[in-house]
Amino acid sequence: MSGLRERLGRLRQETSEAVIADLSVNSLPAASVAETAIPAERERDSSIEQESRLPSGFRQIGVERMSNESGQFLLRRIEYDLPYRHGHYDLEELIACASHLHPVAMRQNRESEAIDPYRLLFLDTETTGLGVGTGNVPFMIGFGYYSGNRFIVEQTLIRHPGEERAMLTYLLGHMKDKSHLVTYNGRTFDWPVLVNRFILNGWRRSGPEPGHLDFLHPARALWRNTLPSCRLSMIEEARLGIHREHDVPGSLAPSLYFQYLSDGNPVHLHGVYAHNEKDILTLASLSVHFGLLLSGNVQPDDIEATEGEELFRTACWLEQHGLTEASERMFSLLPDMKGIDDGGWGLALAARYKRAGRHELALPIWRKSAAKAEASALPKLEAHIELAMYYEHREKQLPTALSYAEKALELTQRRSRLISSAAKRKEEKDGLQHRVARLREKVSRERK
Amino acid sequence: MNPLTQKAESVEEWLTLLRSRPELMENVTFWHTEPARPPRAVQLPDNIHPKLKHALKQKGITNLYTHQAASYHAVTEGRHVVTVTPTASGKTLCYNLPVIQKLLEDDSARALYLFPTKALAQDQVAELQELANLMEADIKTHTYDGDTPPNVRQAIRNAGHIVVTNPDMLHSAILPHHTKWVKLFENIKYIIIDELHAYRGVFGSHVANVIRRLKRICRFYGSDPQFLCASATIRNPREHAERLIEETVALVDDNGAPAGEKHMVFYNPPVVNKQLGIRRSSVLESQKLAALLLKSGIQTIVFARSRVRVEILLTYLQENIKHELGAKSIRGYRGGYLPKLRREIERGLRSGEIRGVVSTNALELGIDIGQLQACVLNGYPGTIASTWQQSGRAGRRQGSSVTFLVASSNPLDQYLIQNPDYFLGRPPEEARIHPDNLLILLDHLKCAAYELPFEEGDTFGGEKLTDLLEFLAEEKVLHRVGNRWYWMEQAFPAHNISLRSAAQENFVIIDRTEGHRVLGEVDRFSAPTLIHEEAIYLHEGVQYQVEKLDYPEKKAFVREVNVDYFTDASLAVELKVLHVDLESSSGPLERQYGEVTVMAKPTIFKKIRLRTHENIGSGPIHLPEEILHTSGYWFSFSEEESAKRSANDMQMALLGLANVLIHLAPLHLMCDPLDIRVVPQVKALHTKRPTIYFYDRYPGGIGLSQRLYEKHDELLEEAGRLILGCGCLSGCPACVGPIEEVGLLGKDLALSLLRGTRTSS
Repeated sequence: MSGLRERLGRLRQETSEAVIADLSVNSLPAASVAETAIPAERERDSSIEQESRLPSGFRQIGVERMSNESGQFLLRRIEYDLPYRHGHYDLEELIACASHLHPVAMRQNRESEAIDPYRLLFLDTETTGLGVGTGNVPFMIGFGYYSGNRFIVEQTLIRHPGEERAMLTYLLGHMKDKSHLVTYNGRTFDWPVLVNRFILNGWRRSGPEPGHLDFLHPARALWRNTLPSCRLSMIEEARLGIHREHDVPGSLAPSLYFQYLSDGNPVHLHGVYAHNEKDILTLASLSVHFGLLLSGNVQPDDIEATEGEELFRTACWLEQHGLTEASERMFSLLPDMKGIDDGGWGLALAARYKRAGRHELALPIWRKSAAKAEASALPKLEAHIELAMYYEHREKQLPTALSYAEKALELTQRRSRLISSAAKRKEEKDGLQHRVARLREKVSRERK
Repeated sequence: MNPLTQKAESVEEWLTLLRSRPELMENVTFWHTEPARPPRAVQLPDNIHPKLKHALKQKGITNLYTHQAASYHAVTEGRHVVTVTPTASGKTLCYNLPVIQKLLEDDSARALYLFPTKALAQDQVAELQELANLMEADIKTHTYDGDTPPNVRQAIRNAGHIVVTNPDMLHSAILPHHTKWVKLFENIKYIIIDELHAYRGVFGSHVANVIRRLKRICRFYGSDPQFLCASATIRNPREHAERLIEETVALVDDNGAPAGEKHMVFYNPPVVNKQLGIRRSSVLESQKLAALLLKSGIQTIVFARSRVRVEILLTYLQENIKHELGAKSIRGYRGGYLPKLRREIERGLRSGEIRGVVSTNALELGIDIGQLQACVLNGYPGTIASTWQQSGRAGRRQGSSVTFLVASSNPLDQYLIQNPDYFLGRPPEEARIHPDNLLILLDHLKCAAYELPFEEGDTFGGEKLTDLLEFLAEEKVLHRVGNRWYWMEQAFPAHNISLRSAAQENFVIIDRTEGHRVLGEVDRFSAPTLIHEEAIYLHEGVQYQVEKLDYPEKKAFVREVNVDYFTDASLAVELKVLHVDLESSSGPLERQYGEVTVMAKPTIFKKIRLRTHENIGSGPIHLPEEILHTSGYWFSFSEEESAKRSANDMQMALLGLANVLIHLAPLHLMCDPLDIRVVPQVKALHTKRPTIYFYDRYPGGIGLSQRLYEKHDELLEEAGRLILGCGCLSGCPACVGPIEEVGLLGKDLALSLLRGTRTSS
């Protein structure tokens, strides 16, 4: 053994720095652990530990041992009596509005039955690594569900990979009477990781796949351009009114778990438990948010959208999910909002009007945007081009069209002084030159 | 010969012309004619599916060659098979036949094909799809590699009958995600490994471990696939296959395919300076022969050993024949060209639009470029197996073909060209792998643990598994529970492990002559000597000078130049012995094998004028030292022996002998000449005596120097024969080295040193 280590040491001399760097990452002290250092009870030997009580570090936070036909694992169960407020929303609100989430389920699944809040399983896993490879192990599976007048969160934990089978058996038991998994990126992460584990434990996927209500994609549709990121922690703070204190970021969870594995001290995991529990609650809040939105009763004022961008994205999202009336109401507010001439959502709105054949509504937006562009040091050209097309093809006012096209060309020159000419810019400029030349020819032909 | 066009009607006619030119014929040292071979065929087996029979008939196949039938029967008997036959002998049918037959019988069956490169995989899929179309059978064949679009990937995973991929993709994408491939692994019947000989050395040692992992996954899903391998001609195909897949394998090597008449001509460039033993440059002679062939309308492939040589030859040839053919009809081909360009060249060769190509061994593997008429090898390709592979590029089933081996002044070339029996008589070299190289094994053990936990009693490789697992557990990579070890780390191990040690760390070459464009790439080991600052880098015959080498970022910035020289860099090497594993002594010679540390640093580069090849200047290279721990073999001379001569004479003698030995070493090994290195030392640190060291250029070693240790006596004997047989007076590049390097007495000194070893043993 020592011979092996020695041989390896020699062979790897050149990589020793990398190894050291690796180790230092693993031994990062966790902020939340320092306060309550409790001497660890080592429990490697499972035969002794079966008889003994769980370490106090687990008992403190209500973790209990569970057994089933596949073995043992640990479970923490928390009950929230309803009503229970989590941020802006009360979890109870979902009972009334869950059915409105059906269009989301329809977009994410080939088919979907009606949404019954009591048949939703809110799911979030903590894993030992990134990606959906076979070596990534979910060491904690947190899930929540409505039961009678309560919202219940359960968190399973394996003390070592040998307990996985029992944990998965327990999870499957809870999935049996549920119709959908409610997740944040669960369709492409949590669920595939779990499927890996089923297969590795020799279970083939039998029976129907669970339905998915994955709110990552709706969240991106709404907030991609208005929030710095679409991580769940960002969304809950900025839009759901949820503030966490002393939160252990999810990215630290693997190294905290490895620390627990190496010294057996459950206190390392307290922060992970708390984080995962909050994530489950937030999933329910987020469901309320989208449920209410899709109920069509939300007034634009209710949306925390101070900018037109978010209102516009929300309106588009509602329109995609078939809520024409609610979305029209929001669209109609947009022309008066600040930022319509910035060349962003304003032009997208104008394009929408143009597609609908309502040029009279698009025209003022283009004009405003064009005026703003002309005053800008880094002008955008889209509005001018739209106007040039409009006057050429709709109004047949060739001179006006020409003047917009020429103006746009002039603006490209202003811009190229500041930005080096990339290939795309050049293409745009070539297109414009072509347009100007064509218009000039048309105009001169008309004069003859 | 058509008097108007100057084109030859056939290779035969062109050879008649050659025979009538004494100025060329006097350089021909050996002319071997392999007579045309008639086919030996047997009937298609009765149980072949009617659809398959029909499709084969449409392709003009109504019989099987003997080797195809033998392979089919061996597979039917449930054995693992390795087929060894030359280029263009219908090798692919050896494995396609049983695979397709199985798929027609059982729609749920699956097969996995492995090729060493993406290009080969694509060729294969095209062929299989053609066959499936002819059969009107629903057999889905797909390549699965880095270029496969994500939406197609899922379809392949679920429904592909035949998945064609490469070992790298298997290693980093398929095995670590095996749960997505349940259908494949549950139903896998055959694993096809073509170009088996390509999996040798470091790469082969990695691939052997990937196969260990693959077999482990198959066992997990309850399948036990058969391996169908195919290899070019090597000395130990069965042994190599058995080491690679760790199963007993049936060998099929009875080639029944027909072949046209084949001429193998050895050509030794004339001596231009007898005193210095300098011959005319093999590049210039190769160029002359190739131009002669091309001008007569004969489609020709020229193989050169290095990228630089390819570019130089290409430049000369394009210039020489541009009036007859136009420069575009002669192309270069080598690693570092981007894939799109390569595909274009392959197509041009098949259609005949491209008349000539100058290539590195990149075209040696079975990429489909059709069959050409003539082949010119600029220098011995390094192994006899490669020589046959490359020469196989010329040769059709009907009509004659010709291969010229143009010897360089390299000692190995000269040895072979003067001992042609050795070339024709001796079976080619051995492919060696060392899958239990500790570093390689440990890397793949991690990947394997990521894929499935290990259990007490499992086996994986030759080292004691529990020791390795415990080691990884101590490193906190694995977590032990009872008698099982689980992966317990955040990392995805396959990402940090490249099967081709150099591949992951390629240097990108950026041309900033006009804007920035990526010109190509160079592997890490070649970078210090190829793209150091001020180096002249050649690409498609154009010269570029390296302006800046960003070593940490692995980028070289170059600019197009037009100069009349190329550059050649040298390395300074220091060596320490860490541990002696084997030793034996015979008389004055002591030889040992063990672990060594090598420190290498590029020092200077020389500027060498094009065409005259004279040295016109030099400059320093500032790059960090590379440290390598590997295995080595060395032998040292007695103190009496060193007392006989001055230190300076001893140095010359050692240097001369080392030069000869390193060139002869590949006769026993099947490796890239750069995989094994030599260092002579007059007073070595370890032995305190005059010593010659050999070492494997890979951390931990891959078994090359160990083989040389075993072949020590033969090696020295061959060295003596080579030096004695060389026609020079006092040493030349073809034996002990040029007199500038080993002095005026170099040859005698080396010989007397060798003689000393013999008389006293």
